[in-house]
Amino acid sequence: MANFNLRKAEPKDVPDILRLIKELAKYEEMEDQVILTEKDLLEDGFGDHPFYHCVVADVPAEQQCSLTGYSVIGFAMYYFTYDPWIGKLLYLEDFYVMKEYRGFGIGSEILKTLSDTAVKNRCSSMHFIVAESNKAFIDFYKRRGASDLSLQEGWRLFRIDKENLLKMSAEE
Amino acid sequence: MDIITKTLFVMELAEYEKVSDQVKIAQRDLEQDGFSKNPFFHGIIAEVPEHLKSKEDSCMYFFTGHTKVGYSLYFYTYSSWKGRAVYMEDLYVMPEFRGKGIGKALMSKVSQLGLAAGCTQLNFTVLDWNKSSLDFYLKQGCWDVTSDLGYHCMRCEGDALEHLAQGGL
Repeated sequence: MANFNLRKAEPKDVPDILRLIKELAKYEEMEDQVILTEKDLLEDGFGDHPFYHCVVADVPAEQQCSLTGYSVIGFAMYYFTYDPWIGKLLYLEDFYVMKEYRGFGIGSEILKTLSDTAVKNRCSSMHFIVAESNKAFIDFYKRRGASDLSLQEGWRLFRIDKENLLKMSAEE
Repeated sequence: MDIITKTLFVMELAEYEKVSDQVKIAQRDLEQDGFSKNPFFHGIIAEVPEHLKSKEDSCMYFFTGHTKVGYSLYFYTYSSWKGRAVYMEDLYVMPEFRGKGIGKALMSKVSQLGLAAGCTQLNFTVLDWNKSSLDFYLKQGCWDVTSDLGYHCMRCEGDALEHLAQGGL
């Protein structure tokens, strides 16, 4: 298997993007956490001011796995963020290739495309989150020169969910 | 928020976090990236009335006699599980004006704007030695994703990023 194509996602890819998001969440044992719908993805990614960008990997019809029948077999979701010390950054939100299509360099090619996008958009770096239990991914990224900011610099990611956001926004 | 104040605040926050040598950005960059048609970030500033303006000399910059006493810098992000989210990149209040609810008010404003834009979560990072900030955030109902879910913030920059872009694996 060698032929695959990386391209910018189009509205018609939304069902496949959601399918792959759920597959990745299942791999991380968090499938029940995905509440995003196709309607959200369409509105948020393909409107006037997209909240995210997506690249997809697809294979020609003759190479579709008979088990899966899908042609879109990998994706990466990213957006641009900002660090007031160094400027624009590219944030990699999700990055996934279906199990049946791994080991063919598709993941590496996706990462290369994203890094190229980062450099062309004058981004100083690419950021992302990895679960510390996911040793395979951490090693994959460290081999490519990524550093672990949580370990090295002590950065901890915090979150406020909607319920507490509403409480906070109502406070005078 | 005017760009000069924003630049000076960014420098002061960096000094507080003990990393001011890592600030590479210039006023020109902040201006272009924050005030063009499609800004990469948004900012809110906290101002006090003239009669309450700052008295103390701020650590290294010219903050005596200023009415702008704090700021927050944020932008919109996206969760592949939950959708629209807001990321608070910076939150800072001058030392002289802390303990008066200004930090909380800034965060409340960011929350309001985030909710209005359809966001369901607010994310940010905190340094693990910053005990007073950690306590403040936990009191507001935040939770530590790094601790609870084991998520680590990773970065690929400079030569490593260029190398990756050229397919050097």
